[in-house]
Amino acid sequence: MSATVNPSSSGGSGSSCGGGGGSSSSSGGSGPCGACKFLRRKCVPGCIFAPYFDSEQGAAHFAAVHKVFGASNVSKLLLHIPVHKRLDAVVTVCYEAQARLRDPVYGCVSHIFALQQQVVNLQAELSYLQTHLATLELPSPPAPPPPPATLVTSPPLSIADLPSASSVPTTYDLSSLFDPMTQPSWAMQQRQMDPRQFGGSTGSSSATSGGGDLQSLARELLHRNGSPPQGSMSCTGSLSSPSISKRD
Amino acid sequence: MNSERCAACKYLRRRCPSDCIFAPYFPSNNPQRFACVHKIYGASNVGKMLQQLPTHKRVQAANSLYYEAQCRIQDPVYGCVGIISLLLQQIHNAENQLAKTQAEIAVLSNSHTQDSQFQQNFLLQQGNVGQSSSPSTQPSSWFK
Repeated sequence: MSATVNPSSSGGSGSSCGGGGGSSSSSGGSGPCGACKFLRRKCVPGCIFAPYFDSEQGAAHFAAVHKVFGASNVSKLLLHIPVHKRLDAVVTVCYEAQARLRDPVYGCVSHIFALQQQVVNLQAELSYLQTHLATLELPSPPAPPPPPATLVTSPPLSIADLPSASSVPTTYDLSSLFDPMTQPSWAMQQRQMDPRQFGGSTGSSSATSGGGDLQSLARELLHRNGSPPQGSMSCTGSLSSPSISKRD
Repeated sequence: MNSERCAACKYLRRRCPSDCIFAPYFPSNNPQRFACVHKIYGASNVGKMLQQLPTHKRVQAANSLYYEAQCRIQDPVYGCVGIISLLLQQIHNAENQLAKTQAEIAVLSNSHTQDSQFQQNFLLQQGNVGQSSSPSTQPSSWFK
């Protein structure tokens, strides 16, 4: 599974709308791009999807994106994003679309829930150990407090408890999000979650196996864009909106 | 009869039927909720996604769609993936801090154990020295 940059494009994330002579795969070169192939329409020069959805496997990726977001919405989204950021946007849109198809109820929010729960558990464990450390550092330490019966006693999370985009750091490695090393711990965490949060675990387990597909997608896109998988990418989106406060 | 339209039908400027798929999840008192979702997914896609789900799961689906839409509006490039990255960083930091604290506890625990063993050995030695110093000779037998 790979939504690769078309070989005929110039330099990776070449703009599809900035004189797309060398940046699109349309007409005459290697046929329509994956998006236009899926939509069964003529792939015009400057097609906004062409650099990101090749005619072979890109159609499958685009199918998911179109089903969840719609081609028109994605096109508008990409048009409002600087050209050098569109590759990242396509990768994340593909990820969210795939996650939503696997888990129609929660989409990628289930992954966020699992990670948030993991953060809460780790912080509780850290807090306990720091208290224990403080008692050991005293001149005449009393007996250490017994460990809590369980450190995983936090109440079930709701969407209102999730962080908002305003707290996102400015730089991070996009490819690491699809690193399989992060998947197993997430998958394990899924098994510890309250099933009432998800109403079923079929989506979450399949999301783990799909992480490999998304990983290869991310790696290929990033590699062809000239960014090494381990390289950092800057995120400069505007993050000034208020946090999410609606409770479910 | 409820003649008030839901937020979706108000936005789309259409009549709100009694079995409107959006009405339970997009009330008229929160127009921004539907506007967000419509901007990212489109009303038609949202309606299809909700229709495919059993009724008791639609609330969570609508809420998660709203959350993802908000994330995408706030961060058009990374959307929810930005949040995932943030959480992964927090996990990484917490695990590092946890490992460091566990190491400190191990060092202090070992130090206390060695101190208590030293004290115990010292006291034992003191006890042995006291027992060996008592005299046992009988001077009357020398003069027989």
